[in-house]
Amino acid sequence: MNWNNVKLIFMREVRDQLRDRRTLFMIFVLPLLMYPLLGMSILQVSQFLREQPTKVLIINLPQLTDLPSLVIDDHFDPQWLSDPRQQRLFELLFPGQEHAPSANPDGQISADLAKHAIQNGDYQAAVVFPADFAKQLTHFRSSLRQHSSKTSTDGQLEAAVPNPVIYCNTANEKSHLAYTRLNTVLRSWAEAVAKQNLKDSQLPEEVAQPFEFKQADVAGAEQRTAAMWSKILPFVLLLWALTGAFYPAVDLCAGEKERGTLETLLCSPAQRSEIVTGKLFTVMVFSVMTSVLNLASMGITGDLVISHLPSSDQAVHLGMPPLVSQLWLLLALIPVSALFSALCIALAAFARSTKEGQYYLMPLVLVTLPLVILPMGPGMELNLGNSLIPLTGLVLLLRSLLEGNYLSALPYVPLVVGVTLLCCLMAVRWAVEQFNKESVLFRESERLDVGLWLRHLLRDRADTPSVSEAFFCAVLILLIRFFMTFAMQVPETFADFGRLVVVSQLVVILTPALLMTVMLTRSPRQTLLLRKPAWWTIPSAALLAIALLPALRLLQLAVEQLYPASPVVQESLHSLEQAPNFWMPLLLVAFVPAVCEELAFRGFILSGFRHLGHKWWAIILSSLIFGVTHMLLQQSIVACVVGAVIGYIAVQTGSIFPAMAFHFAHNGLLLAVMQFQNSPLVQKLTRPLADGAEFIYDWWLVGLGCVVAGILLALFAGLTYRKTEEEALQEAIEHQAAGVGA
Amino acid sequence: MIHARQLTKFYADLRRGRFVALDQISFDALPGKIYGLLGPNGAGKTTALRILSTTLRPNSGTATVNGFDVTTQPALVRRQIGFVSANTAMYDRMTAWEMVEYFGRLHGMQNQLLRSRMEELFDRLQMNEIRDLLGSKMSTGMKQKVSIARAIVHDPPVVIFDEATVGLDVLVARALLKTVAELREHGKCIVFSTHIMREAEKLCDRIAIIHRGSFLAEGTLKELCDRHEQPDLEELFFQLISQHDEAHAINK
Repeated sequence: MNWNNVKLIFMREVRDQLRDRRTLFMIFVLPLLMYPLLGMSILQVSQFLREQPTKVLIINLPQLTDLPSLVIDDHFDPQWLSDPRQQRLFELLFPGQEHAPSANPDGQISADLAKHAIQNGDYQAAVVFPADFAKQLTHFRSSLRQHSSKTSTDGQLEAAVPNPVIYCNTANEKSHLAYTRLNTVLRSWAEAVAKQNLKDSQLPEEVAQPFEFKQADVAGAEQRTAAMWSKILPFVLLLWALTGAFYPAVDLCAGEKERGTLETLLCSPAQRSEIVTGKLFTVMVFSVMTSVLNLASMGITGDLVISHLPSSDQAVHLGMPPLVSQLWLLLALIPVSALFSALCIALAAFARSTKEGQYYLMPLVLVTLPLVILPMGPGMELNLGNSLIPLTGLVLLLRSLLEGNYLSALPYVPLVVGVTLLCCLMAVRWAVEQFNKESVLFRESERLDVGLWLRHLLRDRADTPSVSEAFFCAVLILLIRFFMTFAMQVPETFADFGRLVVVSQLVVILTPALLMTVMLTRSPRQTLLLRKPAWWTIPSAALLAIALLPALRLLQLAVEQLYPASPVVQESLHSLEQAPNFWMPLLLVAFVPAVCEELAFRGFILSGFRHLGHKWWAIILSSLIFGVTHMLLQQSIVACVVGAVIGYIAVQTGSIFPAMAFHFAHNGLLLAVMQFQNSPLVQKLTRPLADGAEFIYDWWLVGLGCVVAGILLALFAGLTYRKTEEEALQEAIEHQAAGVGA
Repeated sequence: MIHARQLTKFYADLRRGRFVALDQISFDALPGKIYGLLGPNGAGKTTALRILSTTLRPNSGTATVNGFDVTTQPALVRRQIGFVSANTAMYDRMTAWEMVEYFGRLHGMQNQLLRSRMEELFDRLQMNEIRDLLGSKMSTGMKQKVSIARAIVHDPPVVIFDEATVGLDVLVARALLKTVAELREHGKCIVFSTHIMREAEKLCDRIAIIHRGSFLAEGTLKELCDRHEQPDLEELFFQLISQHDEAHAINK
């Protein structure tokens, strides 16, 4: 790669974007204007809400002479309010007044009427005292006084005071607010009544509440602020980084295609990878700037607004995030925007026009958002398993750093950075791939006609499937598999287990692959790799499976340590124990998958992906899909590794049979070890782990296995494999690139 | 200079099945000569020239430009050529000077050399008035001038013009043809595609008539007219095309 060209392209693109009024507006002006405007409107609205009094109907207000009164001059007595100014928040209405519902002929008003009035929205709330409330309360109080003067401990207080009711409509925001406000006022009045009662009974006030639990927060104000920010900031940061990357990316790729300048650039000596890198850095710069400007503007405005909100006296005062947090954010922003920029560029390069490009924002958000929201869930914390999930790990790490837990967070930094960089590299690679494809660069709009398209697929098929056909096959298998899981139950008997295996292998995996082979390819033999390999490759593949078993066992245990399996996973294996003999399970667990899965994954799917032009991309992609079809994360990871090894064998030998041999040997051996776990031979070669349930192979066995596997893989590597046209071309081009560099 | 052998390009087309855009084209273009590709719209001229400029890869056949293979050494080929086409637009938010400078730098030209070369080009193509004009404010003619300057700033041995006069008025088109002729004087190997007879007649040293992806005839103007006993290129062109179409209809 010529960095001079990258720099040239980068400088040009940045200048180009800075000259674009739309971009300038979106990135600089909008955040600087939007948040102050938003803040202003929030303040306006809250002002409005604060000013608006709630209408409260009070029915049968008790007139009590010896108690502090609730209402004075048609307003709540200010002593029940936390702030005397709150008086104007209540507009009290009483029956018989103007605008109030008229009283019944007996001078009373029924609670039903109040209910209706609230439902209609005439009042936000109504406080209904029972008709005999005052009488009963007075009675209660007098009996209380008598009771205390008698100084005897026996004897019951006979009087019970009927409960007043606050009517409200919680489905209505205003009414709900009215209830909350009323509740506070009425509660403090009731407390005053209780205090008065105690006084009259010659008891100290402390009787009702002899002690109180006090809260002692060990977190300092700074820590509280940090915790608060650590929840909000990563989310906002990522969201803006994505938005900031998207629009420039669409303009730089799809837009350039639309304006016809892309072909000009493609005719220049700049290589595709240089063009993509230059554009990537440009998009990154805008992504970072958008994120920083938005955060800054939001922070400053938010700080101002919160301090002016009416509830600010109760809420935690947020303040600006600490300086260290801001530093961490800036650091984390770089890999995040790199990843988003690469993704956006790849998508935008695929789009034919800016309009089509805009459509891809939604799918991109749908994919990334769950990964960003996942860490916001309660109980999600930074651990080895979570740190390996792209984006989620980064958000969790960022959160830990913002909270100031450096020591616990630092060990995960290399992991998270590694995963993010890996994703980033893959996205860049994908973007370059898009720029290398003629079909993407010179796409013309075709009329959508499913019939025509299907006919085209059948008529113009090639010897082996295309990349997209392979991908479609994979998606099809995954979908059928997914829906099958609902139809099939966890097998209880061995017969059930057999049925499950046969159905899932034959129907879910083999049938789609075979059907697509027959319909979409001209040479099923070449697609499914039905070639005779060199004789020695078949036993070697089987031996390789045996040699790798101890090491794979270690991997399996490590994975289970990272992502503990639920007990349900183990259950399906119990049915295996009911097998009548060893051979039936061997057929089901080893032979059937070796044939079906190999034909599908190393046959159809791998052959399709070989058209990508790099055998390793084909191997890794097909093994990833092989892993995903195992549905359970714990099995998927190991299956991925196994799939990659088998894929390599299939590519090197050009035949499916060594791959089947490996698969059969691997599954068969796993089964044999499980069945004969207690036999002396297995006991001799393994050692139990501390918990007793699991075992590992002796270390010398692991070592020996790895050495043997290394030798065998070297043998396979020595084979000359048959390259696809694309692979041969890529090799030639890379050769040329090396020549240019020299 | 350019040696194309059996170049074939086909696309998968939903309706027509495999659509052959270019069917085993072979030709040689030499330095100091203008090689003309004459054909109606959709004949395959652009496909052929895109293969030479390495933005498309042939399905079979080879082509070398100044000794470099277009499929396996695309980056080296692109250093040898200047490409002007109706599809290679100019950036809207760049001035003429910036645009030419940008491509000169992409070709790895040193500052001093680039500057003197650009001054010379801007004088020669009379572009000094539009030096600081943004692409979005330029007329089609101005843009085409910038495109030419952009394509030849690095003084490439091969210059390819793909329908370069489309949309230009007579005056500008004439000036462009004059520039092309000058480039020939400078010893460049030029490939010039067009669907306008007069341009081909006036300019090209050798002419290939291309239709439906294959060459119907190839040679100097005189050879062609003599061989097919036609008075001029237009008659010849019309005769060849209609013959080919009739044969095509019968085959179908």
